Amino acid sequence: MKTKAYRDPVVEAYMPGVDRTLLRENLRLTPAQRLEKLVSFSSFAAELRRAGQRARSTKKR
Amino acid sequence: MSTQFDKLLPLLVNGGIEFILIGGVAGNVLGSARLTFDVDIVYNRSKANLENISRSLKPLSPYLRGAPPGLPFKLDLPTLRHGLNFTLTTRLGDLDLLGEVVGGGNYKELLPHTFTVEAFGVKFKCVDLPTLIKLKRAAGRPKDLESIAELQALLEERKQ
Repeated sequence: MKTKAYRDPVVEAYMPGVDRTLLRENLRLTPAQRLEKLVSFSSFAAELRRAGQRARSTKKR
Repeated sequence: MSTQFDKLLPLLVNGGIEFILIGGVAGNVLGSARLTFDVDIVYNRSKANLENISRSLKPLSPYLRGAPPGLPFKLDLPTLRHGLNFTLTTRLGDLDLLGEVVGGGNYKELLPHTFTVEAFGVKFKCVDLPTLIKLKRAAGRPKDLESIAELQALLEERKQ
């Protein structure tokens, strides 16, 4: 008899919110390219944080 | 400081450290679109590997993440031997050294559930997608629920 794999209802509730277009885009890349993308995005996020800090310190003056 | 994945991972490999990439960066290797801020690895607890970890990470001034400054912490062989899981901050970013993980066990137990990744000019082991989902489920952290849904969707996308 075949048994269906257990699906956590809480996780299932999040499933409709997953942007599958992003996943499909990533699946077209190699693992190395996906990591390069992470590095690039991480640097971008860090730059945004720094810009935010600069803006806040300018505002205080 | 953001983690310099492109420097940290080669440093671990070139230091002769035996490890398996898990966590958010492993998710990225597997196709996740979520941004992650630290590197999580399960490391081999052999004496030689502990020595390699201690020697390779020393230049990065590893310190316990979130701990008050000034503690007499040294990531040397005795510390590694007496401890198991270390959440560290280093000059290249945050690094979690895990001797064991819930749902996955230790390095040797996790090894059959890995594949080799070539990136940043080096090769290293990364946990496979079904096992990463299993680890995240076993960790039982509410913050992982959304991530598990994404990994589950990745699994479905791969099957199509």
